[in-house]
Amino acid sequence: MDDLIEDGKNNKWVMCKFCESKILRPSTASYEERELFLPFMQKKKDLAGTEHKGETLKRHWLVADMFAFENVGFSMTVDSIKYLACADCERGPIGWHDINDKTKFYIAVERVEHRQITQ
Amino acid sequence: MAKKSYDYLFKLLLIGDSGVGKTCILFRFSDDAFNTTFISTIGIDFKIKTIELQGKKIKLQIWDTAGQERFHTITTSYYRGAMGIMLVYDITQEKTFDNISKWLRNIEEHANEDVEKMILGNKCDMDDRRVVSKERGEQIAKEHGIRFLETSAKTNVNIEQAFYNLAEDILKKQLSKDNEETSQNIHVNNTQEKKGGCC
Repeated sequence: MDDLIEDGKNNKWVMCKFCESKILRPSTASYEERELFLPFMQKKKDLAGTEHKGETLKRHWLVADMFAFENVGFSMTVDSIKYLACADCERGPIGWHDINDKTKFYIAVERVEHRQITQ
Repeated sequence: MAKKSYDYLFKLLLIGDSGVGKTCILFRFSDDAFNTTFISTIGIDFKIKTIELQGKKIKLQIWDTAGQERFHTITTSYYRGAMGIMLVYDITQEKTFDNISKWLRNIEEHANEDVEKMILGNKCDMDDRRVVSKERGEQIAKEHGIRFLETSAKTNVNIEQAFYNLAEDILKKQLSKDNEETSQNIHVNNTQEKKGGCC
């Protein structure tokens, strides 16, 4: 994790794991630990065939303004939560936003790719 | 506090009868097999996309009507703040083309006066089922002085082009507006530099 953070911010591009759509520029988001429940991106079943709906993730990138994102999709609201998805391939959820707090937009570190690109 | 990382923010709407493929224009993989996940079940409300035009960094916030069109009333609140509207019909459905005039009236009634519009004849990949000729699309656009493109969300024809064209038209308007303001303010504060961010 340390190799992704510099001065409390993301030191690399945050991108979609699947289609390489750019989500956040380097040093635009701060690192924040908070337990957030995100539904799985794909349906998951264990050996007994029980379906798991999601998981609690702790490590996130946080931005205060939705227009800090380069490209991102916002889902419809479910119980005051909007889930974030890739703007291009729409895979997600990659992030979380509670509409009651307009200053917090989270991207789960585990659900995105981090890359150094020269541009 | 972080500085603003963009020069302009444009709010765009997609409007047209249901079934014309608006959602596919905004959501390019909506037909794909993998899209049976959580996100596709609850649906996407809007997207933020960043593009660059004439050296300006522009954030597009793009909204779908999310089924409101089924009630044949798109409310004023939906139009609020919209700077660009993509008016979409389906070239294989006569009725959706006939309704373009209706949507234009609806826009006139509810949207900002200076909203930029564009007409899109979608599903041009289905030429064998075409009932609305390209000429008719061009004609209605010409009558209203609006840009026109035939698109295929499915085969990705002219989709990017459409967003860029619409954004370009809005930018043109914004730049001339900004110039007016700058020249009006010049006596008030001639040291204030109106300049976008560099990154």
